[in-house]
Amino acid sequence: MVSALEQSLVTYRDKNAFYIREQYYSYGALQERAQAISSYLNLHNTSRLPVGVIGYDAFETYAAIIGIMLSGAAYVPIHPANPMDRNTSIIEQSELCFVFAPNTSYSFDHLIDISKTKVITVADLSSASFERNHIISPNDIAYILFTSGSTGVPKGVPITHHNLESFIDSFFALGYELNSNDRFLQMFDITFDLSVMSYLVPLLKGACAYTVPFDSVKYMFIYELLENHKLTFTLMVPSILSYLRPYFSEIELPELKYSLFCGEALYADITQEWKRCIPNAKVQNVYGPTEATIFCMTYDCSNVLKENNGMVCIGNPVKNCDILIVDEESKPTNAKGELCLGGPQVTQGYLKNEEKNASSFFMYNEARYYRTGDLAYADKDGEILYAGRKDYQVKVMGGFRVELSEIEHHVRVYTSISGVAAVAVPNAMGISQIFLFVEQLNKEVSEVIDYLKTQMPEYMIPAAIHSLVAFPLNSNGKTDRKELEKMIQHAAK
Amino acid sequence: MSPEEIREKANSVFQEVFKDANLQIQDAMSAKDVEKWDSLNHLVMISSIEEAFGIKIKLKELIAMKNVGDLLKTIATKVS
Repeated sequence: MVSALEQSLVTYRDKNAFYIREQYYSYGALQERAQAISSYLNLHNTSRLPVGVIGYDAFETYAAIIGIMLSGAAYVPIHPANPMDRNTSIIEQSELCFVFAPNTSYSFDHLIDISKTKVITVADLSSASFERNHIISPNDIAYILFTSGSTGVPKGVPITHHNLESFIDSFFALGYELNSNDRFLQMFDITFDLSVMSYLVPLLKGACAYTVPFDSVKYMFIYELLENHKLTFTLMVPSILSYLRPYFSEIELPELKYSLFCGEALYADITQEWKRCIPNAKVQNVYGPTEATIFCMTYDCSNVLKENNGMVCIGNPVKNCDILIVDEESKPTNAKGELCLGGPQVTQGYLKNEEKNASSFFMYNEARYYRTGDLAYADKDGEILYAGRKDYQVKVMGGFRVELSEIEHHVRVYTSISGVAAVAVPNAMGISQIFLFVEQLNKEVSEVIDYLKTQMPEYMIPAAIHSLVAFPLNSNGKTDRKELEKMIQHAAK
Repeated sequence: MSPEEIREKANSVFQEVFKDANLQIQDAMSAKDVEKWDSLNHLVMISSIEEAFGIKIKLKELIAMKNVGDLLKTIATKVS
């Protein structure tokens, strides 16, 4: 894959690789900067330890990612909005000696302890000639991403070149018709693995990636790129659609060829409305955790949408993924259970976290599987329907098991509003209570409660319903459920 | 409505949305200048402006606006 990337840098030398903050950058410029970074690392990072990259939306950030890969080291993104403590944990866990900061005009001393880690900037690079002096092996790590751990300590997910190549192989086996004239959206912070597909696939095809700054009003910025630059391939989180929905009647994007969604549940009603805005695009719902490299299941939304509680089907596994649905004893089941993933896209395990590895991975029929924490079941055609997070399945008063997505579904049906989120928050006694948030509720709360009582048992009825103008989003652009829970906790104080 | 009246009314919407009683809007001000100006507050701000002035702003008009000055001009064309 790195060889294919190097080949692209040469073949498409005069074409544009990136469009970042209203400026184009060519493959030639990318090659030059990436090789300079790689030369520096060949000289100073001889043990090929992982190298950090501060994730500002800048050309140098992407050049650093490519340069680090060329040097045979893994890259570790560091989010500019993270507190120093979290960054310190990431730096220590991945043993970073070097962090690349894209531009000297940004300050970074509030992000990392510069007394311990060397920060490299463009000023440190020389024009020394580049020579690749390391053959990358499949087990070398391409990147390490950190996801939030339940204990508050971020968990590192190392993804090898073999994992990444397996994803790329799966991706192209899906039959997308792409070439060097395509224009891709790259809306993700580089700390989120959907960013990897969004910059890597265009680079392998000689196409151009259009990026979205993390500090922008994302849904506006994305629409502007779609409209002004006639993008042809987008991978987005579904929350972007909720923000754009009031304007759907004004949106018409005939140039868009592929519109993929990932990262959170995609709802059937909004998907059908979005399809009218993009008459020539193939819409796909894709699914996958960071641990199984970007995405590993796909569902084609061309026809009538299969759904569960309004959530669009996640379809079938991609070429290099095996799935297993297991019950609470980790035995395969035909009923609803935890979705587990196997195959060459799955990580070898969390970084230095034996305890978590022992609980998250297991062997079945001599194959290794990762527990996603997501609930799913197969329909009569063998296609997989998503049934919410295992931890959205909460136990409320009396020990009743409740699926929050089911409550959300009934409210969506009754109000025709897609922005609905149920959260379970423990009260002062430690007993979970259900609260419901709705975007711009168009009915009286009592009407909604009365309706829900006709649909669900009493223990599933929310303790309160709150209307918000829109939901808060986390840095990945997904509905921030933790923030919603905090609103309840703060109100209780 | 005079430009001054528009500015004053818009200013109070901004103060309320961004929860900052001392916020004073400037023509060159944009999302980068206000800490809490994210996607959510942008949406809230636009709908509050629409409500306060009794107007509707189209998506294409929204993306053409680069700063608060552009927003005030758009409001002026719609209320007059």
